Amino acid sequence: MSLGAPGSILPREKGAAPLDVVIAVMAFLAALALGASLLAERTAAGWRAGLSDRLTVQIVPPANISAKALAREAETALSILRATAGIAHAEMLSESQTQALVAPWIGSGALLSELPLPRLIDATLVPGARIDSAGLARALKRAAPDSELDDHARWIARLAGLAAGITWSAYVILFLIALATASAVAFATRAGLDAHREMVELLHQMGARPSFIANAFERHYFMSTLGAALAGGALAAVFFLVAGSLESAGVEAAPFLPPLGLKMSEIGWLALVPAIAGIIALATARLSVLAALRKIY
Amino acid sequence: MQARLARRKRRRYGAAMVRFENVGMRYGAGPEVLRDVTFVLEAGSFTFLTGLSGAGKTTLLKLIDMTEPPSRGLVTLFGNDLSVTKRSAFPALRRRIGVVFQDFRLLPHLSAFDNVALPLRIAGKRENDYVQDVEELLSWVGLGERMQAKPATLSGGEQQRIAIARAVVARPDLLIADEPTGNVDSEIGQRLIRLFAELNRLGTTVLIATHDRSLIEDLRAREMRLVDGRLVELRSARP
Ligand SMILES: Nc1ncnc2c1ncn2[C@@H]1O[C@H](COP(=O)(O)OP(=O)(O)O)[C@@H](O)[C@H]1O
Ligand SMILES: [Mg+2]
Repeated sequence: MSLGAPGSILPREKGAAPLDVVIAVMAFLAALALGASLLAERTAAGWRAGLSDRLTVQIVPPANISAKALAREAETALSILRATAGIAHAEMLSESQTQALVAPWIGSGALLSELPLPRLIDATLVPGARIDSAGLARALKRAAPDSELDDHARWIARLAGLAAGITWSAYVILFLIALATASAVAFATRAGLDAHREMVELLHQMGARPSFIANAFERHYFMSTLGAALAGGALAAVFFLVAGSLESAGVEAAPFLPPLGLKMSEIGWLALVPAIAGIIALATARLSVLAALRKIY
Repeated sequence: MQARLARRKRRRYGAAMVRFENVGMRYGAGPEVLRDVTFVLEAGSFTFLTGLSGAGKTTLLKLIDMTEPPSRGLVTLFGNDLSVTKRSAFPALRRRIGVVFQDFRLLPHLSAFDNVALPLRIAGKRENDYVQDVEELLSWVGLGERMQAKPATLSGGEQQRIAIARAVVARPDLLIADEPTGNVDSEIGQRLIRLFAELNRLGTTVLIATHDRSLIEDLRAREMRLVDGRLVELRSARP
């Protein structure tokens, strides 16, 4: 029949109310923040996995060392690495590989062939193996005094810190958006109560319990917030999907930055935004109405 | 001692739907609109409240439906002394009263059907269980064809009939109506009074404020008249 869901006691507003616009924008921003934290998590995990199972040893040539002596030190370091438990594979980069690494910075001209380049050994760990890096570094120093072991620990720690920073920033932003959403709904609810004062007084007169009146309002704001937040969240999802498809088509958003594309499974998390927005609206409207009704009940 | 007294008092008021004892009422610091009003509405009674415009009829009804508290005196409703009844118990008491307001107070954004169904929803009834009742009642008051109409598109008389249907739809224990036939022609007026009488036969206590003497003549019910804020008993129950 015409009644529809109980809660339609409040008139349905035509078109988008200002609150809907505010909620849609909030939801869009919240979904962006949530997506950013997901990306940061995934990217950091990827980097961590890529770095934590590798070691690099450099033999840095001091002044006046002969190429032969440098090569001997490098060979010693390589054999020590190969003999270490937990290291699956160790290989010396050839001189041309090393040159290729630095070429982008100093060019491949005559200077490059004259520059005393360090020798680099790239080692891969047995997956899951734990290595005593400090002990290994000491053993290498003893046999090859110019060797330097780099287990990327500092990098990994920094990346983890960066990812944690992004994630926590996202959480703070999400919290602030939730707070702003609740305030906007509380404001709108109070205005709504004022606009429907006569109706509220009538319901009160007819013996409606406060919860009956609160129900009407909370349903109203739950539905309108859900709709607006779905729109905002969907917009953000489209943003991440388009960014993802552009990237997989070879268009890089920004070099050196993590990719912006979210996987489908991650897009699913964005559905949390309208759901939580709806719950915030419902709870806020209910509490606002019950608080206001305390004056007449 | 106190408790026994209270119990005896409660028993004494048990049969009374409404009891006023030396009730006085003034709005703010204004003059007393009602003075020393004392009466009882027995369960199942049918009473007219008459008086000139401004005599205090609406004010008296407001004391009964708990819109206003009396300035002095005792008001009991369904045996509850309202001055000591907990506020949290008021909604349940209010649901036992059907009120036809002088100004109707229909919700403008709801259809005739939804306006009439409102008390049932407030009582927690499910729509499936009351659709038929509401439709029948609307037909009874001559609005079967206008169930989906918004109040603004209806005449004053039609709005009044919706207001009446809304007041009776939940079969209240007590029905109070303020000038319920003020906007309808006499034929419809008679029909509405018959509706009230029918409801009364089913057990509802009825109090109707009106200045329309022709209605009163027909029913030969009890009449209480307000003169200058004082109650004058003109005619007691049916002969
Ligand atoms: N809300 C109010 N504030 C102040 N005075 C009021 C109010 N309502 C009614 N009155 C006064 O109380 C008197 C009785 O009014 P009312 O009860 O409406 O009489 P009736 O319904 O018999 O016409 C009138 O003099 C009216 O002006
Ligand atoms: Mg009046």
